[in-house]
Amino acid sequence: MSREVPSIPNSRTQLLPLLKHEFKKDGFISKEAMSAVAERTGLPLNEVYGVTTFYSYLPVSKKSKNVIRVCRCLPCALKGALGIIESIQKELDIAPGEATADGKFSFELINCIGACDQAPAIMINDQLFGNLTPDRITEILKSY
Amino acid sequence: MANVKLNIDGNKVKVREGTTILEAAEANGIEIPTLCHIKEQSPTGACRICVVEVVGSRTLAGACHTPVSEGMIVYTKSPKVVEARKIIIELMLTAHAGVCVNDPNAENCLLHNLASDYEVGAPRFNVRFPRYYPAEDMNRYVHRDLSKCILCQRCVRACADIAGKNILSIAYRGFRSKVVTGFDEPLDKEECRNCGICIQYCPTGALSTPIKAQSKAESIVQ
Repeated sequence: MSREVPSIPNSRTQLLPLLKHEFKKDGFISKEAMSAVAERTGLPLNEVYGVTTFYSYLPVSKKSKNVIRVCRCLPCALKGALGIIESIQKELDIAPGEATADGKFSFELINCIGACDQAPAIMINDQLFGNLTPDRITEILKSY
Repeated sequence: MANVKLNIDGNKVKVREGTTILEAAEANGIEIPTLCHIKEQSPTGACRICVVEVVGSRTLAGACHTPVSEGMIVYTKSPKVVEARKIIIELMLTAHAGVCVNDPNAENCLLHNLASDYEVGAPRFNVRFPRYYPAEDMNRYVHRDLSKCILCQRCVRACADIAGKNILSIAYRGFRSKVVTGFDEPLDKEECRNCGICIQYCPTGALSTPIKAQSKAESIVQ
């Protein structure tokens, strides 16, 4: 993590950019990565761990190749997120919080992803899918 | 600095500009309960137990972090305030794992005492999963029982600002929030030795001296 992140030692402001950088590199943030970030920013390990675990987009363990995130907040629920969740469950045969055996998909329920205008919405990795119906799930998952 | 005149519970009070409602009340012998506040440290306003009614304010205000202003009318024991405090206590008790009926040290717990002062009984709310953590006694200086933690963050601030060690942090989010050391490891660290400052600041029984006989009540810092 040397060149792409500007080097400002002992700086708390660098914490999130550094963590994001580590996430992009490995797909998750390992203990080694957190130790390196702590050393670089001069922050105690516990604080780096605390910040990392606060954000659901900064996973501390290895994730599957594709992470499906379904919004579980009220607007999506009112527009039928439950049907979407059931549809994903049926399609992949896994419950929220689980991953497929081949490591291709993991499935989690998260809080608002800021796409209430397109409810019900899900995210697969960085890609947003909105205005969903249960039938569209099969086709979307096939494209991965 | 200029003085500010205000009215607390019908008493005319004059304090210096910039003081908080809590400080103004205390200076005039009016008691406001606190849990997360540490005197002479910057307030966090995390526990909400110090809420008071300020006339003209839409919501109740946290006394520990709200500065006084000229002509303010404050009620610290109005029915609205007492009702809010009761629910706050009830919610904090809900987040506890288990009851403190069979805890011999419960009398040293500020939350337990507040619950009896305000006549709050067993909480009526159900939780999806209890916040239970096994008690840790591997550290010779601190006994940790995080099931009793109310996340007031006094230990975090005491460790960082008073002990200057910075080995405690809040991790995770929402109901899963927890005070951690390192990568959420047991408190068995080289850095945590023979200090025990956090114990004096813990308002509940979450942090205690391993020697059970010691009375904690006198040593809790307000």
